[in-house]
This record gives sequence, structure tokens and C-alpha cells, in this order.
Amino acid sequence: MIVEAGQLALTFAFALSLLLAILPLYGSFVANQRMLLLAKPLALGQFLFCLLAMLALIYAFRTNDFTVVNVAQNSSTTLPWYYQITASFGSHEGSMLLWVLMLAGWTALVAQFSKALPLLLLGRILGILGIICVGFIAFSLFMSNPFERSLPFFPVEGRDLNPLLQDFGMIMHPPTLYMGYVGFAVAFAFAIAALMGGRFDSVWARWVRPWALAAWLFLTLGIMLGSWWAYNELGWGGWWFWDPVENASFMPWLAGTALIHSLAVTEKRGTFKSWTVLLALAAFALSLVGAFLVRSGVLVSVHSFATDPGRGMYLLVFLLLVVGGSLLLYGMRMNSVRSQARYQLFSREMVLWGNNIFLLTACLIVFLGTLFPLFHKELGLGSISIGEPFFNQMFYYLTIPFALMLGLGPWVRWKQQQFTPLVKPLGLVAVASLVLALGVLASMQSVQANLALLGMLLGAWVGVSALAEVMLRMRQFGSVTQGMTKLNASHYGMTLAHIGFAVLVIGVAMTKTYTEERDVRMEEGDTATLAGYQFTLVDVYDLDGPNYGGQAAELDVRKDGRYITHLHAEKRFYRIQRTIMTEAAVHARLSRDLYVSLGEELPGNAWALRIQVKPFVRWIWLGGLLMSLGALLALADKRYRRKTPPAIKQEVANA
Amino acid sequence: MRKLFFYVPLALFLLLTVFLLSGLFSDPRERESASLNKALPEFALADLMQPQQIWTPQQLHGETFLLNVWGTWCPTCNAELGYLTELRKQGVKIVGLYYELPRDPTFDTPFNLKTLQQDVAQKLQQNGDPYQFNILDLERSLSLDLGVSGAPETFLVDADGIVRAHHIGDINPRIWRAKLAPLYQQWSQP
Repeated sequence: MIVEAGQLALTFAFALSLLLAILPLYGSFVANQRMLLLAKPLALGQFLFCLLAMLALIYAFRTNDFTVVNVAQNSSTTLPWYYQITASFGSHEGSMLLWVLMLAGWTALVAQFSKALPLLLLGRILGILGIICVGFIAFSLFMSNPFERSLPFFPVEGRDLNPLLQDFGMIMHPPTLYMGYVGFAVAFAFAIAALMGGRFDSVWARWVRPWALAAWLFLTLGIMLGSWWAYNELGWGGWWFWDPVENASFMPWLAGTALIHSLAVTEKRGTFKSWTVLLALAAFALSLVGAFLVRSGVLVSVHSFATDPGRGMYLLVFLLLVVGGSLLLYGMRMNSVRSQARYQLFSREMVLWGNNIFLLTACLIVFLGTLFPLFHKELGLGSISIGEPFFNQMFYYLTIPFALMLGLGPWVRWKQQQFTPLVKPLGLVAVASLVLALGVLASMQSVQANLALLGMLLGAWVGVSALAEVMLRMRQFGSVTQGMTKLNASHYGMTLAHIGFAVLVIGVAMTKTYTEERDVRMEEGDTATLAGYQFTLVDVYDLDGPNYGGQAAELDVRKDGRYITHLHAEKRFYRIQRTIMTEAAVHARLSRDLYVSLGEELPGNAWALRIQVKPFVRWIWLGGLLMSLGALLALADKRYRRKTPPAIKQEVANA
Repeated sequence: MRKLFFYVPLALFLLLTVFLLSGLFSDPRERESASLNKALPEFALADLMQPQQIWTPQQLHGETFLLNVWGTWCPTCNAELGYLTELRKQGVKIVGLYYELPRDPTFDTPFNLKTLQQDVAQKLQQNGDPYQFNILDLERSLSLDLGVSGAPETFLVDADGIVRAHHIGDINPRIWRAKLAPLYQQWSQP
């Protein structure tokens, strides 16, 4: 019953999205205010029905309704209740419904929180979001229905959730990531609406900025959680694999990062318009391309959902209509837009332009690296694969100039900057970061000309520079305490995000250089030594989980005879899916992780264990977290909540 | 000129969709095999069940057959045994190339033929036995020469010992009908 209600709710949502896609847009061209006013209730109603559909699906999972194919294939009675809920978006069908829900959610948020927006513009934005909703709700409803029944023959027990997805990280990762992906639809809709009206000015940019920032915040968090999940769950201590699907999330992130920087220029200086609009289109287009790559089976990846050319074809046509259509509009409209602002070669504008160039180059590299094997094969040149070394090397070369410029960026003024006033403060920053980097490495007795030193130097340069800049700005307002309140939230947000980047760079460089790893054979009571830590295998015993068995190993860790911690590593065997999963034991400190994963049982009552000591690996996720916090802080900026003066409102309404 | 400039993103995107479209209809796991349309590489390998019997390519001439690379350690291989057995009943000759995993000298038990034979016999009894016989590729030399990248993989070898098809992944009714059956028909005609 409830399942049918869910199906019905999704159908209603589809009907509302159709109305939302047609009425307000039509109304905007024939100047019909009543149609425009319909946009908001339609958007809210659509969200409500999507939410009901999702709740119905969760209900089906919680009540073990195996007559629903989706439930039978991705859940079981032995699955713990919280994973039964997350299993509702563990499959292709369920995750598509989650995607739809998020999209409808963003649409509703725009409808609710855009009181400052002129009615015409809001109607168009919601209408465009409505078109995207139509595409995805129809896909969910007709191509991958999560409510499909398998009556009259249904199994008495489900096939259980893929054990890889039975992890806390997996509860958080997909929703946050999807919030990010789908969030860029809002910036996309703003861009299209602006293209229709032919107006992009500072006011427009200020409207888009919080939405772009919010999407970027979620995407950053989502990617970070995914990396953290892989680290804990895949059992060999890796945190980024350059897997096609990871790349598919990284590309919109890079474009989105470029977008939030480019928007700053458009807001403050009214220039870079064509650039900003293109980036707003690109960020969402890349999200769609990503969705296509994951769900069509064009690329092979651990993340792939079951492949079906029909679904791929649908998504491709949708991609062609949405992205192709928007780029066509861009080509037709953009050439009439002129930017008047003038700026010198050394100015904030140019530094941010450089930032965009680097980010887009990075995006292009990821794009080509991911899709080159496909191009190569489809051109009949045979199969090739592009792996980690390519990406690592490219990002190594890109990060150095990017980080150097990032340290410089916030110091440079808009329009024009003289060199001489910057020499002294930046010189001090350079000296301070040199001392800091060498000091930290010297305290670890490892000053060598290697990647770690480079990473430390770059990280310190970016971090110290960001801190020094914000201190200096505060002092410009008189005292530091006075300045602290004067400086707006988005400035702190920027500083925090830049420090986050510094932390990330340090984490990557240190982990890559100083990770130590050993595969050992241990019997109970044996001790293995790695990087000064003594790992003693105390006990191995059988596990008895709700839907898994397996073994657990208990280890004691000592350093120089001093007790450090106790580690508990598991090797689980999931009974229904018949798969083995490694649950690594991790002891995390800011300066290092101790990482142990339990391997095969060996003859002679012994076990294979993989032991790793990974310095600074936490910093990678800490960096991501700081970046997200930075975005959150920037979102809190008062100016995004200021009411638009009536004069401007009128002006835009006439545009 | 400036006008056309703004159409560049559209042009690039359309180019991309062409590739995505063609990618949609080709199997990403498919690779061109280096061994295609060449004779089987030279080998002299023992039979898995009767080790005194040594197989060479010449002994395999005379009839088109499938050379199926597999191992009991590989779940997909075990899964396809059932359908392969059905094919055997339809008269398709299938020879197994048993792919033995590399062993770690410190961790793994040394290779034991007896255990392996028992293991294989048990698996084949459970899932069906599609094989005329199994060639044991202990050192994986033949697999390497054939360009095997994993298991299961299947080669179609014609009566003259020439490799005519190389399929990566399992054989199921759909794949057999769509891809391998036509080739099998084509190459088994005298």
C-alpha cells in the first residue's frame, strides 16, 4: 500500500514538475503575473511529493518488503536498521530517487529564500529548475523505478546490501555528494535565466554567489567523506584512486571552485561575465556528464551501477538537450555582453584570472585522463589505460605555481597593485614559512630535498600568507579587535578555505613521502616493528555480527616500550553476499595514523597483516573540512541577506 | 570572429557527445587481443588431472574449440561453469586452461597438485563439468603469451589452431548468442 502511495507521490511530483517547467517560463514571456506566481507553490509541492516518495521507499526497506525488487536486491532482514535506511539509496534506482529529492529540495529552497529576487527572474529560474526536474523525475519514474514489484513470485529473504556500503561514511557520503552535484543546478538556472534576460551585473552575481558556495560546500564535504570512507573500508590505506567516478566528482568541484572565484570578480568589478556564466554552465554540465559516466557503463569503475544502454541513452539525450541547449543559448547571447571594467596587469582581477586558468587546466587534465581511453578506443586506436602516475605528475606540476599564486592572491588589490608595498610583508611571509617548514621537518629529523619539503614549504607559504593578510587587514581598521568585527564573514571564509588548502597540500605531501608499510606474517604473541612502533598481535578470534561472520584481531601498540594504544582490526565475511570485507583498525592522531588491516589466515596458526604508519594523513581530510567551513562562513556574510534596493529591483524587472 | 568564439564550448560539447554515444554501444572491457588471428603460442603443458599427459598446440588441431581460462578461486568462473556445461551438451568443445594464482613464498602454502585436483573435481561436480580436459598453466606462461588479463577469459580457436576471438569476462546466454555463437558457427564450418 505504502509503496503504491510512494509511486503515486512520485507521479504527482512529475505532474507538478511539468507544470513548473512550462507555466512560469511561459508566463515570463507573455508577462502573465499569475503564472509567475505559481512557480513557488509548484516548487514546494514538487518537493513535498518527492519527499513522500523517498519516505515510502525507506518504509519499504524498513519493513523488509521483498516484493519490491529494489528492496529484495539491496537489503535483508539481518541488515541493521540504519543500513536498511541507507540501503534505500544504495542501488541505482534508490540513488536516483535521492538525486531527484535533492534537486526538488534545492528548487524549493530557491523558491523559499529568494524574496529579494524580481518575480520575473525567480519565475524563470524555477522554471529552468523545473525542466531539469522533469528530466530526472521521468528518468526515475520510467527508466529506473525504485518501487517496481516482483509479484507474484518474490523472495523471502533479500540479497543484502553490498558490504562495501555498510559503513558510516556511506551513510553520509552519497547525500552530501548529491547535494553538491545537484546544487550546481541552481547556479546553472541563474545563468540561463540571466542569458534569457541578457543581464549579468554585480547584483546578479551577488544573488548567485551564496547558491554556488552552498553547492561547493556540499561537494567538498561529499568528496572528502568519500575519500575517508575508501580509506577505512577498502583496507589498504589509500585515500584517492583517480577512479573514473572519483574524477567525475572532482571535475565539477574544480569548475565550481573556479566559479566561486570568478563570481567574486563579477560581483566586485562587474567583469569576467562571459567567463562566470560559462563556469556556471560547466559546473552543472560536468555534474551531468559525471552522472552519465557512472550510470551508463561507458567507463569501468568500482562505483559503476549495473549497466543498461537504455538508461545511458536517455541520460545522453537529456545531457544533449540541457547542456547543448544552454551552450547554444550562451553562444547566441553572450557576444552582446560587454565588460567595461579596466584593470592593470598586476591586479586582483589578473590573479583570479590566473586561478581560473589553473583550475580549468586541472579540470581539463582530469577530463582528458578520464575520457582519453574512451576517445582512443572509439577512434579505433585500441585500448589504453591512464592511471595514477599521469594524474599525480600533472597535479604535482600544477600545484606548485597554483600554491605560489594562492599565497600572493589575497594581498593584491583590485584594479591595480604596485609591487613595492608588497615586498616587505610577502618577504616576511616567505621567511616565516621557510622557518616553519624547516622547523617542523627538523623536529621530525627528516630535512631532505623531497616532496615532503616542497609540500611543507608550499603549505606554509599559503597558510602563513593567508593568516598574515587577515591580521594586516584587521589592523587597517585601527586595532585588531576593532577590525575583527569590521571584516566581513566572507573574508574570514576565504582565509579559512585557503588555510584548508594549505593543510591539504601538507597532508598529501607528507603522507606520500613518509608512509611506511609492511606486510607481515604473525602468530599470536608476535611483534612487528615499523617506524619505531611495536605492534603485538594479542589475540585473534571469531566474529559474530548480525549479517556477517569473520575474524577480529587485537593488537597492542608500543613505542620504546611505552603503551600507545590498542587496535581492533576485522575481516568480515558477509554471509548473504558471500564477500569478504576488511575493516581496518585505525589509531588517528594529527601527526600520524597507525593503520592495520587483517589479511588471510596462514598455515601454522598465523595471520597475514598489513601494517602502515601514515604521517599527517588526517590533514588531507582536515584540509577538506576547513575548506567547507570556509564556505559556510562565507555563506553567513550579511550582504547575501540584504534586501535589494527597490530601484535595482525595478531595473532588473524591466530587463 | 568574436561572435564565433562563444560557440566554441558548444562545438566541444557536441564532439564529446559523439564519443559518449559511440562509447555507449561498445563494451568498455573489450580489448583488442594481441593473439587474435595468430596461431596458438608454442607450449607443452601437463594435463591437470593426468599430469603424465603433456598437451602441445598440435594435439589440439582438427576441431574448433573454446579455450576457457579459469580457476576455482575465481567466483565468476565458477558461475559460468553451468552455462558452459550446457554448451558442451550442445556439442561445443571446450578445453580448460587452469590459471593457478601466483604464490607468496612466505605466506602461502606451497603448491600441491593433489589438493588442487580435489578442489577442481569438487567444483566441477557442484557446478557442472564443461571441459574435455584441463591444461594446467602452473607458471602462467601460456596465459601470459595469450595476453590473458584475468579470469574468466575465453579464446575461440579454429581447426588449424588459429585464435579467432578473445572474450574477456564471463560467458552467459546473452553474450554467447550475440557475440560468440556467430563466430563459432563461422569458424567451425570446414
